[in-house]
Amino acid sequence: MEALQLYNKNETYNGLYVMLMVNRLQMLYFFLIMPRFLIHPYMIWVILAVGLLSQLNLLLLSKWFSTGFSSKGYNGFVQLFGKKIVRILSFIGLFFILLKLFVVMLGFSEIVQIFMFPSTDSNWIIFFILLSCWYVAGKGVEKTIRFVVISFLCTFWMFFFFAFFFLPPIAQLSDLYPIIPMEWNRDSWKGIFLILSSFSGPEFLVFLGPWFKTNNKTFRYLSYGNALTVIEYVFLYIASLLYFGSNYLSKNQFPIVNMARYFQNPIIERIDMVMVSLELFNIVFAVSIFLLMFYAASKIAFGKMEKPSSRGGFLYSVFLIFIGMILVNEWIWKSGEKQVILLNLQILAGSLSYLVVPIVIIMIMKIKGVNKHGTAKEKG
Amino acid sequence: MGLRKKKAKKLAIIFIALWLTGCAPFTENNIIEEIAPITFLSLSKGDEGKIKISTIIPPLSKEEKSVMSQEVSLLKEGVREFNLNFYQEIKSGQMRMLVINEELGKEGIMSIINVLLTDPDISLRIYLVIVKGNFEEYLETQLDKQENLDYSFYRMLKHYEEKNQGELTVVNLHEFKNLLYTRYSDPYLPVFKIENDAVSYEGTALFQNDKLVETITSFNDRIFQLLNNDHYLKILPIPELEVVLGHVRSNTKVDIDTSLSTMTYTVNIDSRIEEYRGEKQLFDPKDLEDLKKDIQSNLEKQTQELVKKMQELNVDPLQLGIHTLKPFSKPMDEKKWIELFEKMDIKIDYQFNIEPLTDSNAKS
Repeated sequence: MEALQLYNKNETYNGLYVMLMVNRLQMLYFFLIMPRFLIHPYMIWVILAVGLLSQLNLLLLSKWFSTGFSSKGYNGFVQLFGKKIVRILSFIGLFFILLKLFVVMLGFSEIVQIFMFPSTDSNWIIFFILLSCWYVAGKGVEKTIRFVVISFLCTFWMFFFFAFFFLPPIAQLSDLYPIIPMEWNRDSWKGIFLILSSFSGPEFLVFLGPWFKTNNKTFRYLSYGNALTVIEYVFLYIASLLYFGSNYLSKNQFPIVNMARYFQNPIIERIDMVMVSLELFNIVFAVSIFLLMFYAASKIAFGKMEKPSSRGGFLYSVFLIFIGMILVNEWIWKSGEKQVILLNLQILAGSLSYLVVPIVIIMIMKIKGVNKHGTAKEKG
Repeated sequence: MGLRKKKAKKLAIIFIALWLTGCAPFTENNIIEEIAPITFLSLSKGDEGKIKISTIIPPLSKEEKSVMSQEVSLLKEGVREFNLNFYQEIKSGQMRMLVINEELGKEGIMSIINVLLTDPDISLRIYLVIVKGNFEEYLETQLDKQENLDYSFYRMLKHYEEKNQGELTVVNLHEFKNLLYTRYSDPYLPVFKIENDAVSYEGTALFQNDKLVETITSFNDRIFQLLNNDHYLKILPIPELEVVLGHVRSNTKVDIDTSLSTMTYTVNIDSRIEEYRGEKQLFDPKDLEDLKKDIQSNLEKQTQELVKKMQELNVDPLQLGIHTLKPFSKPMDEKKWIELFEKMDIKIDYQFNIEPLTDSNAKS
């Protein structure tokens, strides 16, 4: 088997790529179903608050990027944690990556199935999407990171369309009342974690450190990406409140896509179909990145780091994920009640990973007394 | 390179085999010659709780058209029955209208609305229309004379929807659904009457939840357009005063007192007199003032009666309830609002701003 240059590093990408990646990784799947769980108008404030929290997280992440460790990649982590712990951590990481992959992929293929190919088996849709992800990921990390530009250009402008819902006769200010929380229950907590989980994603960037040109401006770019996400979330959420009204929002499975169905254009009648197809670029980008991470993490976890990455090995891991997805799709995702379990799991796992990863890294760095240049002080 | 080519060949063979053996994952066939994208469905009450569902087939091709009807117990079953009786397959992606018979509307149309909402093929912009009379019969008699009957009907609705022209009520599926599901509001739909081989606009049907309870017609319907639907009327004839107001623009304001027992409904109107055939001399400022007062009291009286009727029927198409919503207080329970609304003392107050433009009696 010929050796594959999946993880080669020939060039580094500047802050702009960091910004686009933060933003696109936060706009994957959850934002499409978010309004259905948030329901109440006061959740607008919660989105803003969680956005600020996410900003703090990014501050911690940028601290990591400013050390020399981040650019060393795997070796950096080994220096910091020790080989054994890195292996254990990547084993745990596999679970998080898999869960995210499953939810994003199954969720989106369900949307494609419902709105575009209702008579097609969703397993086929998973197959085709995964096939393109495998192709993109097969080009290596560098090209995949570059792909974020295409994914961003294909998708970011879509939220401007939703400005249409801010105009009368659809917009009524009373749809946004009451604007402060009058009661607080379990669903509201779930809403907070859902938002946090949708903001998660940038924590995976710590593993892509070697490919980024990091400097003291990195935090700025991370923040730009995050701020753009906050704007998009709030914008889409207010639009959905105006369009559906609080009462109907919880009854709608895919609020954002259903809103897109209301757009009209004399030339293309089903604009929603075009939008869903373009959104696929974003999914393909994210899934490709996660596929590469999964392969690398499994190599670390099983102690095969020294072996060169091979086409066969990568194909094998993608194939395993594909089989896993088909099984999860058949056993869990297709039945609504069980799907909720998986969603809840991802809501928790996403929030957890987003909160814990930066904190743990910073704590270990503090304990080991790392300075800016990435050298640990000798103890004592 | 050779290895790669071989691989590509292998992959290609696998794909071709999949496709040729019929394992293709896309089972829907949308070849244009073989499908019939219907433009509307007409629903009416059938025997024994069934629904009679009709449409014009074929909707597109230049073949001779005919009206096809089926009596079924479920809406989607009807579409299947059509397929069994016609060589083309019915597709609902181009549906533009849903015509519901008045009798069916009185029984409630929630289930029909939900069917439409869950089908991603059916646009949320389809128009909902209530008809009085036998629409199928009308189609059958008119089809010979007017081939594109359904299309012209759709164009008419679209024309009046587009710029809120203020002539007729036009409601699409999304708007209906929102009024149905939003708290403190009830939906309404346009009503068309079939009489002597012609369809004419009659007024607005008021719904209590999903059940049709009342149709408001003629002058009441005009007021309804002014208060709620379009806030604009091209002309507003008031026959009792022998006057026609033109380009009537309205601006409504609702005030509810803190005890929630009285509501003041203020309507500001900008308009001009377009025609007058009465006795008053409109050049005389005093007479003009009198006429204004007459118009004002006339409209106030009529509106009062209309709102009273809504209160009696317990319907709220004007969405008066949403004015109880405040940014910083808990929304009222819907049942409580209904109780309050029934008893509420609603005061109507018209504020006029009329420009006298023409006066047919001036030089006589």
